[in-house]
Amino acid sequence: MHDHHDDDLTRRTFLKALGASVALAGLDGCTRIPAEKILTFVVQPTEFTPGIPVHYATSMMLDGYATGLVVEANDGRPTKIEGNPDHPASLGAAGILEQASLLQLYDPDRAKFVRSGTSASTWSDFTHAMAPATLRQRVGARGAGLALLLEPTSSPLVGDTLSSLQRLYPDMRVHYYAPLSPAAASAAFTEAAVIPQYDVHAADVILSVGADFLASGPFHLRYAREFADRRRAPLAGMNRLYVAETGFTVTGATADHRLRCRPTEIEPFLESILATLATPSPSPSASASSSEGWTVALASDLRAHSGASLVIAGDHLSPRAHALVASINMELGNTGHTVWYVQSPLLGAGQPGMTLPPLVAAMRSGAVDTLVCIGGNPSYMTPRAVGFSEVMRRVPNSVYVGLHENETARDARWFVPAAHYLESWGDARAYDGTYSIVQPLVQPLHNGKSAVEVLLAMTGVPAGDSLAMLRSTAARIGVASDDASWSAALRQGFVAGTASSRIAATPRPDLLARAVPPTNRAAGSVDVVFTPGACVHDGSFANNGWLQELPDPVTKLTWDNAALISPGTARRLGLDTGDPLLLRHASETLTIPALIVPGHPNDVVTLHFGYGRTGAERVAEDVGTNVYRFWPAMDEFVINGVSAERAAGVAHTDFAITQTHWTMDGRDQARSDTLGNYRASQRNEKTLQRTPLTIYDPQRRLESPVQWAMTIDLGTCIGCSACVVACQSENNIPVVGRDDVAKSREMHWLRIDRYLEGNEDNPQVITQPMLCQHCENAPCEYVCPVGATVHSSDGLNEMVYNRCVGTRFCSNNCPYKVRRFNWFDYTDEISETERMARNPDVTVRGRGVMEKCTFCVQRIREAEINAGTAGRMFRGTDVTTACQQSCPTNAITFGSLTEPDSVVMRRREESRLYDVLAELGTEPRVRYLARIRNPNPDLESG
Amino acid sequence: MSVSRAPAAETTSGSFPLLKGNEGDAALTDHLLASLWSTPRAWWLLFALSSLGTLLLLGTVTYTVVRGIGTWGNNIPVAWAFAITNFVWWIGIGHAGTFISAFLLLLNQRWRGSINRVAEAMTIFALVNAGLFPVLHLGRPWFFYWLAPYPATMNVWPNFKSALPWDVAAVSTYFTVSLLFWYLGLVPDLASARDRAPTRTRRLIYGVFAMGWQGSGFQWQRYRIAYVLLAGLATPLVISVHSVVSFDFSITQLPGWHSTIFPPYFVVGAIYSGLATVLLLLIPMRRAFNLYDVITRKHLDAVAKLMLTMGLMLTYSYVIETFMAWYSANTAERYTYLVSRPLGPYAIAYWIMTLLNVVSPQLFWVRRLRTNPVALFLISAGILVGMWMERFIIIVTSLNRDFLTSSWHIYLPSWVDWGLLAGSVGFFCFLFLLFVRFVPTVAISEVKELRQQQAAARLAGNRDA
Repeated sequence: MHDHHDDDLTRRTFLKALGASVALAGLDGCTRIPAEKILTFVVQPTEFTPGIPVHYATSMMLDGYATGLVVEANDGRPTKIEGNPDHPASLGAAGILEQASLLQLYDPDRAKFVRSGTSASTWSDFTHAMAPATLRQRVGARGAGLALLLEPTSSPLVGDTLSSLQRLYPDMRVHYYAPLSPAAASAAFTEAAVIPQYDVHAADVILSVGADFLASGPFHLRYAREFADRRRAPLAGMNRLYVAETGFTVTGATADHRLRCRPTEIEPFLESILATLATPSPSPSASASSSEGWTVALASDLRAHSGASLVIAGDHLSPRAHALVASINMELGNTGHTVWYVQSPLLGAGQPGMTLPPLVAAMRSGAVDTLVCIGGNPSYMTPRAVGFSEVMRRVPNSVYVGLHENETARDARWFVPAAHYLESWGDARAYDGTYSIVQPLVQPLHNGKSAVEVLLAMTGVPAGDSLAMLRSTAARIGVASDDASWSAALRQGFVAGTASSRIAATPRPDLLARAVPPTNRAAGSVDVVFTPGACVHDGSFANNGWLQELPDPVTKLTWDNAALISPGTARRLGLDTGDPLLLRHASETLTIPALIVPGHPNDVVTLHFGYGRTGAERVAEDVGTNVYRFWPAMDEFVINGVSAERAAGVAHTDFAITQTHWTMDGRDQARSDTLGNYRASQRNEKTLQRTPLTIYDPQRRLESPVQWAMTIDLGTCIGCSACVVACQSENNIPVVGRDDVAKSREMHWLRIDRYLEGNEDNPQVITQPMLCQHCENAPCEYVCPVGATVHSSDGLNEMVYNRCVGTRFCSNNCPYKVRRFNWFDYTDEISETERMARNPDVTVRGRGVMEKCTFCVQRIREAEINAGTAGRMFRGTDVTTACQQSCPTNAITFGSLTEPDSVVMRRREESRLYDVLAELGTEPRVRYLARIRNPNPDLESG
Repeated sequence: MSVSRAPAAETTSGSFPLLKGNEGDAALTDHLLASLWSTPRAWWLLFALSSLGTLLLLGTVTYTVVRGIGTWGNNIPVAWAFAITNFVWWIGIGHAGTFISAFLLLLNQRWRGSINRVAEAMTIFALVNAGLFPVLHLGRPWFFYWLAPYPATMNVWPNFKSALPWDVAAVSTYFTVSLLFWYLGLVPDLASARDRAPTRTRRLIYGVFAMGWQGSGFQWQRYRIAYVLLAGLATPLVISVHSVVSFDFSITQLPGWHSTIFPPYFVVGAIYSGLATVLLLLIPMRRAFNLYDVITRKHLDAVAKLMLTMGLMLTYSYVIETFMAWYSANTAERYTYLVSRPLGPYAIAYWIMTLLNVVSPQLFWVRRLRTNPVALFLISAGILVGMWMERFIIIVTSLNRDFLTSSWHIYLPSWVDWGLLAGSVGFFCFLFLLFVRFVPTVAISEVKELRQQQAAARLAGNRDA
């Protein structure tokens, strides 16, 4: 049968011909086929199918300790970082820094070239200059003029490489430096290099003294999980958390009781606990609201749970405070149960000669001819008094190996771009000593070199041997040297059973005996406390847009640091949020905008490290204030007697704060209650859930066998914001920048709402993840004039981006205000490398369209298709959303309404279940479990 | 026309005459067409100024389309702000024209004849401005036609549950009918202009637009029927357009928008601001073109009385919506009406609105002020500002603090927002200046007819005496 179209030039064939001729005309102009003979892809490597993501286990080292990760790669590009469920430091969760390190890999500001002086150089020039034959002539046969400065590391591979280098240069110096390294903890014991380990799960009563153990530190993911496991079922042995701290932390915000302390009050506080514990039966306090009453009630609670209580000291407390905490734990019989001690796996731990000050002294005296500084950023991260930058410039031959041409790179003669951990082989130990492998997923994007490669080059071994070296190190640790054992270790990402063994540790008696130095704070002066920035850490993550735009969990401040002060201090100094504060101590001054934080102690200023960068990193440029220059000395995180006043002639700063209203104003969107009331409500069978009257059939939407729903437990949500970064990474959410955040245009599909209740001096905090509620009666849907937001049969509120014209009517009618609008073409401004971080399964949205949480619809559909292909029934448990996956406390559960046995539905049987704004009749598919607090009945009045 | 109805017109005119002077028909026509043949120096000055305003509008519109809505101050939660305020404001202004022309024609209010042309022109120009904002306000303005029910190949239709497609339909219908109504009323006067045009070119141009009008009895008969029919069509539109505009807000569940009083409330407010604009335009025009005989104090008095009526109805709406918010016992509703608006970050706008819309029209109880052009001009200008504030209050204070306190955020307009507002005012003036220069500004035929009726009535009165 002949088609009559054959003879005609139809419109379609005409267009085809036209298109083809245009393409042919342009062909010679844009061909990218190489001149050499190339071969097609015939033999497909195992484990690789184009378009199918592959997951690799690896580890990331932060402050020397490893966290096990599983990284997703799409066609060779790492695109998502998740936790390794088997790794002791992760348990499947990943923190904000680990997840955001993906963007660091693709940072367009990463250095790309080797530099010598001011001129471009090459790796081979560098290896030639650093080879033993050449270098010996400079640093002497025994290497007396050679010094290495590394970041703290627990890597046995680095250790082995250093040993072989040391054999070449026996007199070589090796030093380690990171500004936040918790040296004080180790200094508290008579044994050297001791670090405490905790079993948070076993503790009924926990006291944290300045320790943000739920959201920072090498094992915080594990501790958060253990903590939450004891709060998931409030009626079954709920733990109680006391926090005594200065600045508000995530842990403080989660506490059942929080005591705001000036830094000088910490040691007396610990002493009085110790004294109260020693008293046979402390009388219940007359005034429970006073801090003495607090101490007594706390001490008796701790004593009542001897052996099952836990006191944790913050990293940056004094050695004496650590010793006191160790004594309290010993007094309570916790040592050996909830707390025990191990040898620090960090190289050079407990050896004062391997810290930075001796190196600076040597550099100043001219003893160092060649300084090789690998990682870190000491020129920026040291106090000005140390003068590191200046002495480094005086070193005749200095090398800096780093990801960026940062402040230290500018002071170095040689610069070598460093490899990202996803680009290089390596290893590290977790906080408990577990041997973890760093497996690369990609070839170095910019020919960066790892620390091991640089050290190997110095020993004269040609590059590329780091894997062989790693395998021999691993063999020493306990991985059998055959390929099968090695592959198994790689697949797992770590070697089980390699944790450090417990050691005995005794708090130094001299520290315990020493009396507290009198606090002679001049009237009107303040104490200044230095802490890492919640999102940029010590500044090494400052060039990361995800982290800069991630609101601080407590202040909700983005793209800035501030001087945190209490409302009382603000009134005394006549300051409002954003007003400039001038701090003066010795010869140093610092001008920084103030930010008023309820619950902050009076006459204390908290400063965050990590801002005010001046390197070549463009994202970090002009963001915040550098407080390292005001830092008096390393390892001293508190200064007393600082004069504080309003700075004259400095403009007000308009902060980019995502949540400007701190309280709920008497509304009840984020609910909480005490355990006592909750128990009573169980007896009365009272529930929080309100069901509005409706004339519609509630079953009408259950068309599909799977009906998506999410349950979020506010009782275990600590507000750490890992889910926010996970969502950003999974869903290609753009970074909008400081100006647009200040205008309330951040694009986060999932935000953490933070509400304060109670008085401004001692507020209670509740955090609430807020995302699209996927309402069954979605108010956004009926107002869209073009039907761009519609309901799916499995209960999702969907956005059809290509249909959206951008009236924003949906956002106006969304009572939860979770919809986000592309005010500009945000995605087009992203660099070529950062584009590689995008999830290929998620549409990139253009200018002028609305977007919002999809319940990770791409994961749902993928799982649905996989189930269909495999011919099995598709179930709600087949899908994990990105936020759920990253949550260290498992506060988020996701699944189907139609599966009553699933976790998400079983949690909905609790009486503390409620809908936010139920009275509007939106019938949200996201439901919340009210937070149950476990206050000490003796303190409940206060 | 009917001589017997004329005395009624006379009695309604009260103590002020509706028309003054004793010019003959020819002289009156010459007088009223004079503005077409000569250009005062002041016109050039104003035209230059308004051209600058138009350029500002062009510039800000271009900038918005090229860069995106992010150039404005809008955010989440305040996704609608200046542009929608401007839209509702201009639509409201556009109401008085048809109200005066069609509504009053049907009610046989003869005083409308001197001012209806200006009012209709104002309507058209206000609608041109109003129509610009919702399109510009879209994230992707090039797809604005997706809001219209056109036969798309993919069979997708607008969502008729949403108020916005209805809004598009209502405004475009209103614009079409208003334009037709205006043009139809113009035809006899365009013919007069054609007949008196000093040059051949002008004769030709006016001739084309006059569409062969001869003024024959046959033409007049058909013309009258068409005009009354169009008036009949336009009158319900006055009510429906702003009612539909109010649905953009009242169909939501947002405190401050979620209110059944909105349709009448919006219509009243619209007519209120439209009348104020009519006075703002008439008072200078009457002076510039020496129209004291045609636009008399009687006209000013009548418009002022209407404004007082509208002002009282609007006040009633303000009181009732606030009362209902309290009566609802709903936390969020009460917060919006009783805390956020009077005491919140935009309280200044709220109290300016109350002063200008509620308090200032009370001056119209005083007869002397109703007929004092300066007082009328100032109060009208104030009401126009007040009505803009009202829309700003409704839109922004409802959005910026709604249900969840975590999403509360301030809205601050950007320079582009201000530029668009100022530019649209400039563009309106630009169009209006072109109108007074090239189009007969008073309905000459109607004025002449009225004069004949008055003369006949006088004659009849004399005879009776």
